[in-house]
Amino acid sequence: MTSRPINLRMEDYLSRLESALRGVTPEYKDDILREIRAHITDSAEHSTDPCGAVERVLRLLGTPEELASRYRTECQLQRASRSFSPWLILRTCWQWAKLGIKGTLAFFIAVIGYSLAVAFTGSVFMKPFMPSKVGMWIGPEGFNIGVPAHPEQMHELLGKYFVPVIAVAAFLTAIGTTQLLRWMMRKRAPGLAIPPGKSTPLNSVQNHQPMKVSG
Amino acid sequence: MTGNANGDRGQNWEAQLRKGCLEMAILASLWQSRLYGLEILRALSEKSQLEVAEGTLYPILSRLKAEGLLDSEWVEAEAGHPRKYYWLTKPGQRRIREMAGAWSEFAGRLTVLVQPIVGGKER
Repeated sequence: MTSRPINLRMEDYLSRLESALRGVTPEYKDDILREIRAHITDSAEHSTDPCGAVERVLRLLGTPEELASRYRTECQLQRASRSFSPWLILRTCWQWAKLGIKGTLAFFIAVIGYSLAVAFTGSVFMKPFMPSKVGMWIGPEGFNIGVPAHPEQMHELLGKYFVPVIAVAAFLTAIGTTQLLRWMMRKRAPGLAIPPGKSTPLNSVQNHQPMKVSG
Repeated sequence: MTGNANGDRGQNWEAQLRKGCLEMAILASLWQSRLYGLEILRALSEKSQLEVAEGTLYPILSRLKAEGLLDSEWVEAEAGHPRKYYWLTKPGQRRIREMAGAWSEFAGRLTVLVQPIVGGKER
C-alpha cells in the first residue's frame, strides 16, 4: 500500500476535511470521508510516483475547506430539509426555484407563508401603539387583519384577545410553512431525508460494511 | 490590452460552457456501466477531453444522488479497499435522455451556423 509520508499527508487532509464538514450529518460525513480516502488511495496506487500522485490529487481536490464548502453548496437542499431556519429554507427555495416548477411552487409557499407570519407579528407589535386601528376586522371592506383603510366602518372581532390569538397564528404560520417546505424538500431527496434525532443511514451507507456484488 | 481582455473573455466563456455541460457529461459517462469516481474522471478525460477536478466531481455526484438521478453502493474491490460505484436510476436515465436529445438538437443547429467560420469561408 501507500508509504508512511503519503498516509500522513492523506490523514492530515482527511482530518481537516472532517472538521470543515460542519453541519453535515455524521453518516453523510463518514461517507464523504470514505470516498475521498478511497479516491486518494486509488490515485496513489495507480501511479508510478505515488507521492507525486497524492500531491496532485490533493491539489485537484482543493483545500479541505473549499471541498467542504462545495459539498455544502451542492447539498444545501438536503441541509435545508432538516433545518428550522426560515432564512436557510427561503434561500434554498430560491435556488430550487431555478431548477423547476416544484421549486418555484416551494418558493411561493415560502414567500407567502413567511410574509404572512411577519405581517401577523408586525400587527401584534403595533397593537399597543394603535389599539383602535389594529385588529381583526370585518365589514364592508371584507375581512382584514391589521390596519384597514376605514376602521370606523368595520367591526373588530378579537378585542383584548387580538395579541395572543394573532401571536399564536404568527407562530403556527411560520412553523406550518417550515414543516410543509421541509416535507417538500425531503420528498424530493428521499435518499437523504433524515428525520431529526433519528439516525437512519443514507442509502449509500446502509451497507456500511464493505460488500461484494456478484457479476 | 484589448486583445488580452478578449482572450480572457473567450477562455472564460469556454470554461462556463464546459461547466454547464458537466452535469450532462457525468450522467452520460454512466450510461453504459456503473463506475466509481476515478473511472468517471477517466471516462470524461479520455472520451471528451473534459478535464474535471476531483474537487468538483464528488460534490456534484453527491447532489445528483440527492436528486435521485444516481444511486450508489460501496463495493469491496480487488485493490483491497472498497470503492463507491454509481449508476443511473430510472429518473436519471430519463433525464440524461432528455438532456442528450436537447443537446444534439442545439449543437446541430449551432454547427450549421458556425460551419462557414470553421470551414474558413471568406466573409
